Amino acid sequence: MKMKNLSDAEIIESVRKGKTADYSILIDRHKSKSYSMLKRMLKNEFEAEEVLMDCFLKAYNNLATFKNESKFSTWFYKIVYNTALTRISNTKRKIESEMTSIDDLHFLHSKYQADELVNEDIPTLVKKIVSELPPRNSAVISLFYLEDMSIDEISESLQISVANVKVLLHRSRNLLREIIEKRKVLQEVL
Amino acid sequence: MKNIDDDLLNKYLDGELSSEEQQLVKTEIEKSSELKKKFDFLHQVHTVLNNLELESPNQDFTNLAMNKIRKKNSAVRQQKYFLFTILTLFGITILGITGYLFYQIIFSIQSNQSTEIVTKYFRGFGNYISDIFGSNNLSLFSSVLSFILLLSGYFLIEFKRQIKKKFSH
Repeated sequence: MKMKNLSDAEIIESVRKGKTADYSILIDRHKSKSYSMLKRMLKNEFEAEEVLMDCFLKAYNNLATFKNESKFSTWFYKIVYNTALTRISNTKRKIESEMTSIDDLHFLHSKYQADELVNEDIPTLVKKIVSELPPRNSAVISLFYLEDMSIDEISESLQISVANVKVLLHRSRNLLREIIEKRKVLQEVL
Repeated sequence: MKNIDDDLLNKYLDGELSSEEQQLVKTEIEKSSELKKKFDFLHQVHTVLNNLELESPNQDFTNLAMNKIRKKNSAVRQQKYFLFTILTLFGITILGITGYLFYQIIFSIQSNQSTEIVTKYFRGFGNYISDIFGSNNLSLFSSVLSFILLLSGYFLIEFKRQIKKKFSH
């Protein structure tokens, strides 16, 4: 119980001293958020779980190289993001992800039929579209909204520039806004 | 009406603008119903995204991960013990051979009660070395050592292969 109140840095110190079991607290603390991000990036729950397992093992094996200069979550999400990208590039989805670059989000505009847009409520629709965003966009959305990371932290985790993080975030949000606007227009027409 | 683009609206939403810029966007939103509608939709998206539900992996995920870590740790420990055992055996063999050599030398020295003990000691040592490594014994020792090394190498590779196999599943 007392251990659960410790910071990530303190738990890491304890694991480094030989208390391997304490690592389970770190897993419990970060598994849901990172799983949500991976599921959105990989679009497959089994693969997401498999990659997540890999990430926690990688993080454990490299715990000695972790410096307390940044937060554990920033360091861990770097592992998660890179492992997910490697998995994507190893599968056929490489072609798909290349096709759906940040400038090519409009495929989601035309994907939904009018009746589908009108009948779905907004939260469900937004969640559906978020789960279909290209990997980089969904990673930024997950870290910004689920992990409450700042733009700078996301930039450090994903190793992309601050400007690019903003572009990915704004474009994803604009796309969602445009679809909701379209839904409103369709509701009025129908 | 000033040109308020999507980027500026997003920055306004995230509170990234200076107070003057913020005031400017706020005024423009109040003035234009179209811009207000646009901002309201964006704000609605922001609110839904803020309430995105967390999804969790398998309930047993933490236990499975910890089991993998424990298995890996024990495999590393076993590997260390294995190497330690092999090196100890190797050391004992070398020590045994050296001990046997010294025993033979000292025995030969003790049997000669002459005053030229030091000279004989060195002569005896030289003779023994040349006897052992100059005859068929050399090939015998080499064979034993090579056999031990080969056997250790084989077990080490096999052990590593098994660990790799265990973690790939």
